Amino acid sequence: MRFMMLVIPKGYESAKAGTLPDPAMVEKMMKYNESLQKAGVLLALDGLHPPSMGARVSFSGGKPRITDGPFAEAKEVLGGYWMIQVKSKAEALEWASRAPMSDNEIIEVRQVQEFGDFPPETQKHVEGFQEMKNAPKK
Amino acid sequence: MRFMVIVKASKESEAGQMPSTELLTAMGKYNEELVKAGVMLAGEGLAPSSKGARVRFEGSKRTVIDGPFAETKELIAGYWVWKVASKQEAVDWLKRAPFNGGEEVELRQIFEMEDFGKEMTPELRAQEAKVMKSAEDNRKKK
Repeated sequence: MRFMMLVIPKGYESAKAGTLPDPAMVEKMMKYNESLQKAGVLLALDGLHPPSMGARVSFSGGKPRITDGPFAEAKEVLGGYWMIQVKSKAEALEWASRAPMSDNEIIEVRQVQEFGDFPPETQKHVEGFQEMKNAPKK
Repeated sequence: MRFMVIVKASKESEAGQMPSTELLTAMGKYNEELVKAGVMLAGEGLAPSSKGARVRFEGSKRTVIDGPFAETKELIAGYWVWKVASKQEAVDWLKRAPFNGGEEVELRQIFEMEDFGKEMTPELRAQEAKVMKSAEDNRKKK
């Protein structure tokens, strides 16, 4: 089963545009990434620029409305993620516990939906999408 | 540049309710357009937070809190990764998404190796490249 480990860094909701992670932190992260890689569990990972460089689009009544970041009301924002392939939620939590995070930071562990999780009626609609994703990338 | 397009959770997604056939069909068409335009790199849906957990860090202490998480406002239901030429292009694509029920979607730019400048030493770059290659191989094995 696949899990996303969503990183919620403390204070990142108010980080200035162009903020980069501390080099010492980057080094620790790379070591951790390498441990995931050596264990063969790593599927993907990315870090995200601060929300002040992002935007939100809301679709009230189907009409898109754009709000540029930062998002004043946000108490928690995403800083990045890992996607891992493991045998259980417990194993995912074990990996999350080993991440080099600072005090009061959070990793949210969420299971990724697989094709087989959908009821047959829904599978019909998702089938084409699975093929699209498996198609060779440009 | 790449963007993570984060679809926020709703009461329905948190309840594990499947989208309607109508929405699934519209979403299928939209995904097809994204793929044809070479924009879509990845896309996944997440199981409700009731199936998940949070780990809170404090010194060497780790506190595990099982889901669901009440504050659904910042919760994630799914995401895409898009490759586009600008933030505007990402916004333009997103405006065409077939959402209609007050959904909120967040666009966040993904860090690329070149964003780190010289702090990213050749050794770190090589290490990163190895990790990324291995992750790609694992995805193909799936």
